Amino acid sequence: MKARLVHRDDVLKIVDLLRQKGYEVVAPFFGRGRDTRFDNVTDENRDEIQIHLPNPYHPPKRFVLLQIERLLRIHQREGQIEIEPTYREPKRAIFGIRSCDIAGIWHLDRFFLGREFRDIYYEKRRENLFLVNVVCSDPERDIGAECFCVCSDTGPAARDHFDLQLLDLNDGEFMVVAGSPAGEAMFADPIFRKGTSVHSAKRRAVLESARRSFKPSTTSWFSAAIRHVSAGKVAEQTWEEIGNRCLECGGCSYVCPACTCFTVTDRRVGPDEVERVRIWDACALGGFTRMAGGHNPRKAVHDRRNRRFFRKLSHYFIQRELSIACVGCGRCAAVCHGDVGMPSVVEMIRRSAAEMETHEHAQL
Amino acid sequence: MNTPSSDNIYLPKIAVLDRSVDEIAEVKTFYWHFDDPAEQAAFKKFRPGQFAQVSLFGAGEFPASLPPSPTEEETFFTIRTVGSCTAALHSLEPGDKFGVRGPYGNGFPMEDYYGKNLVFVAGGIGLIPLRSCIIYALAHRDKYEKIQIYYGAKSPKDLMYLQNLREWEEGAGVEFNLTVDRAEATWKGHVGVVGSLFKKPGVRVPVENTVAFVCGPPIMFRFVIKDLQALGFHDGQIVSTMERYMKCGVGKCGHCCIGMAYVCVDGPVFTYEQIKKLGEDI
Repeated sequence: MKARLVHRDDVLKIVDLLRQKGYEVVAPFFGRGRDTRFDNVTDENRDEIQIHLPNPYHPPKRFVLLQIERLLRIHQREGQIEIEPTYREPKRAIFGIRSCDIAGIWHLDRFFLGREFRDIYYEKRRENLFLVNVVCSDPERDIGAECFCVCSDTGPAARDHFDLQLLDLNDGEFMVVAGSPAGEAMFADPIFRKGTSVHSAKRRAVLESARRSFKPSTTSWFSAAIRHVSAGKVAEQTWEEIGNRCLECGGCSYVCPACTCFTVTDRRVGPDEVERVRIWDACALGGFTRMAGGHNPRKAVHDRRNRRFFRKLSHYFIQRELSIACVGCGRCAAVCHGDVGMPSVVEMIRRSAAEMETHEHAQL
Repeated sequence: MNTPSSDNIYLPKIAVLDRSVDEIAEVKTFYWHFDDPAEQAAFKKFRPGQFAQVSLFGAGEFPASLPPSPTEEETFFTIRTVGSCTAALHSLEPGDKFGVRGPYGNGFPMEDYYGKNLVFVAGGIGLIPLRSCIIYALAHRDKYEKIQIYYGAKSPKDLMYLQNLREWEEGAGVEFNLTVDRAEATWKGHVGVVGSLFKKPGVRVPVENTVAFVCGPPIMFRFVIKDLQALGFHDGQIVSTMERYMKCGVGKCGHCCIGMAYVCVDGPVFTYEQIKKLGEDI
């Protein structure tokens, strides 16, 4: 992988270059309060783009898998039906995407493109997507109390699947790594300067210090949780405790960069015209498995929670999807009012499994 | 739009309704064909046990079993009206258009069953997916040993596919047993749940070298499984199709994902051995 240096004052020129190349660029901004969000870059807001800030709750997943996306437009007139697929092929760049969210998009890539059936809507949105990853290096501004990418093995620096990766060397320079031919092509611009081995050593030092800035997290017990979930050895009572705390809001799925589920519905948009749209869905919701006629094989909340964590953590799905379906962004923990985000669930599983093991010892 | 439409896994193809026939209360059979003969030819390669996604534009899309056998000429669905999409299908007139895409799912591995006895146990509208296998097996009669059908319905009024039932009743090479849960005194046939047929005088269910197909409502399924196990069937010898809420049919929407399987792509046909591992009721 090739790397260059960019001066702090030139970093946002990468955004300008991308816009000149015809990319619609989204980047992170502060909201009105302490909130942060990804938004379209315009001439007006360009200078307000933030490099170091808490990762927005609403993940950039929505730029490849829209929360509400039209799939088809159907015209019905005089007994004839005409179906028109409505594809969008935006040329978009996400500037400032964090490593966890890079892992999220890579997860979606494998799910929507890597199987027997390819999702053409996803493919077209993904095709021209340019990703500028910013490594979380600032312990105060980048790395939040809920972050655990070090446990999910997705950060703080993504290994690949970005086009460019920026790392603040804290000395007025950023080191930029190219992860793709498109990223490397950007190096033709004079803002990118050659560095030396001193800079490479500095990069390693900054990264090492960033890795040590993460607060202790219960997700360090991931491997125990994975083992117990995979073996179906989590006590029913533990799932019930988790279920009792779940408010069934679906928030964890909506903020999850690795969640893929959607529902499909038709809506009338004119006297002769119907749209078929897909909308993010969540396995926490009671209607997720309810069939016409009312039969629901997964009615209990705790069964639905069991489902979520089996799907995300079991060995079977790790083999099938090549990783756990958790990127360690911590958003589910941050939004969950019942405190049953990933870190708490991992802890509850570990504790219950430990208790069961204690009982085994007691019998000896 | 420069992508071939066949690359779009969510794109339904236009189908035309030829006619609809009443089966039982709230259940009709809809005979249809694709507008495009090439689509029709491609679709006809389906396997028994597969399913299709049926689109009623404005109402939505739902998964439907394929009751015809690929050896038959016509394509049709047998659908009970339960929700808004099925109601929209029921309101169609001959000549009306709707959407179909598929076939999807694994289907029954009918070739793997060559040389075996086939025992079909259907309860109520569970006969819909099994009809495909039965017709297929009878069309390849020399490939299989004994073929037995056990069909139970709530009452004589709830018996479906009457023409087929008569053919199986009279036909050579198939043992057909029928029962209803309750009936008026005029009913000459057997009364009782479908599993009670196994104990009827003269009935002998082969167990060795046999595959048992079981489809019906969850309560019937549970009891028939017990009956078959009591006869000596192993869980791997029992096959069924799972029914789940589905939105895409192609392993993306996530609704039908249970245990380790997406019912739409890994199923809907599973052995009872596999169903038990999925960890959820049928």
